[in-house]
Amino acid sequence: MGIPADRLPDETLLAGFGAGDADLSLAFVRRFQRVVFGVALTVIGDPTTAEDVAQQAFERAWRHAQVYDSRRGSVRAWLTTIAHNLAVDVIRVRTSAPVDPQDLPALLTAMTDTPERFAVAHDNAAGVRRALAALPAGQARAVAMAGIYGMTARQIAEVEGVPLGTAKTRIRDGMEKLRSAYLREDVGDE
Amino acid sequence: MSELNEMSCEEFADLAAELALGVLTGRERARAITHLDQCDTCREHVRQLSLTGEEMLGLLPSREPPAGFETRVMGRLGHPAIARRPKRTRRMLATAAVALAAVACGLGGWGLRGAISAPSAGNPHTAQASVRTAALLTAGHQTDGRIFLYNGSPQWLYMAVDMDADMSNGMVICQLEASDGHIITVGSFHLDGGYGSWGSPDPLAAGDVTGARLISLNGTVLATASFTAAK
Repeated sequence: MGIPADRLPDETLLAGFGAGDADLSLAFVRRFQRVVFGVALTVIGDPTTAEDVAQQAFERAWRHAQVYDSRRGSVRAWLTTIAHNLAVDVIRVRTSAPVDPQDLPALLTAMTDTPERFAVAHDNAAGVRRALAALPAGQARAVAMAGIYGMTARQIAEVEGVPLGTAKTRIRDGMEKLRSAYLREDVGDE
Repeated sequence: MSELNEMSCEEFADLAAELALGVLTGRERARAITHLDQCDTCREHVRQLSLTGEEMLGLLPSREPPAGFETRVMGRLGHPAIARRPKRTRRMLATAAVALAAVACGLGGWGLRGAISAPSAGNPHTAQASVRTAALLTAGHQTDGRIFLYNGSPQWLYMAVDMDADMSNGMVICQLEASDGHIITVGSFHLDGGYGSWGSPDPLAAGDVTGARLISLNGTVLATASFTAAK
């Protein structure tokens, strides 16, 4: 009849994590460690640095747990954003070309149609996932390079060998299509 | 000032996605932010694009971290949770903080709002909700834990026990006492070295609870809690 810590709602675990409750903290880390490490590893590529960033992400979440606002988004999204910001900060210092364009198709495939993603992704992401899969290749690459690797339009233009204006247009058009899909998710259940 | 203010909504729309993704730099970024400060429509546009970007991050594949990751995270945060338990007083303070933080942060108490990891929404009941708490006392009037009753929607109870380590290992049972005197068994949970915490939907109206008991499997009353009149 009772509910063990590992089945408590995300918000409860976060509150316990921020308050220093040992059991709830452990349950919080266990629930989200794969997500956080996955983000860090995808962006950074190096497992050792990715682990350090993932640890930093949990540390930052612990420090700021009390300012988390559930109206702003889910705990998962909040934590993902923290990990992503830290990871992008690392690669911006380290390199001017964080990703090899040859690696992008595999990542985009993993984000859009692998069985694991369908099983793990929360339902609300289905529309954006489909929209990402439907983007023209150039737009999908530009959106991924900007949105995941934090690359500027100028960096994308250099990597892709296209004019700056083309890179900017690809980011804009790709993101607008994803936004439309996101808004449709928001209006109706999928 | 004048030149920075001159960006039109059409110009802004060309840069909105880059701004939302945090990849707009230099003068373009300064002009875009200046426009954003003055235009509610474009601010909403960027907000939607930012949320879309976050949604895209949610599609990134999860990966199993290296062995021992959780231990290293807990150690980094100063949690000796795996190797040894924190001291009794600190644990009790933390438990109380969990209760207060959950409500103070507008988290809707401990209500199970939908599936685990589902996106959250504001809880309209938060403003009316309240938490009642009482100490779990032994026969010798030693505090062995606390029970919290959350009078929100749904109603929820949370119990944290922290008794002497040699007192109890194994299952214990939580019972509530209603105002008409009848006792209801809510559930059971496991104590490890005298420590355990547990939450459950509250089967009684929180205001109808007058007391709680923690009993062992053989029926021995380990501790009791008494609530004053509901607020």
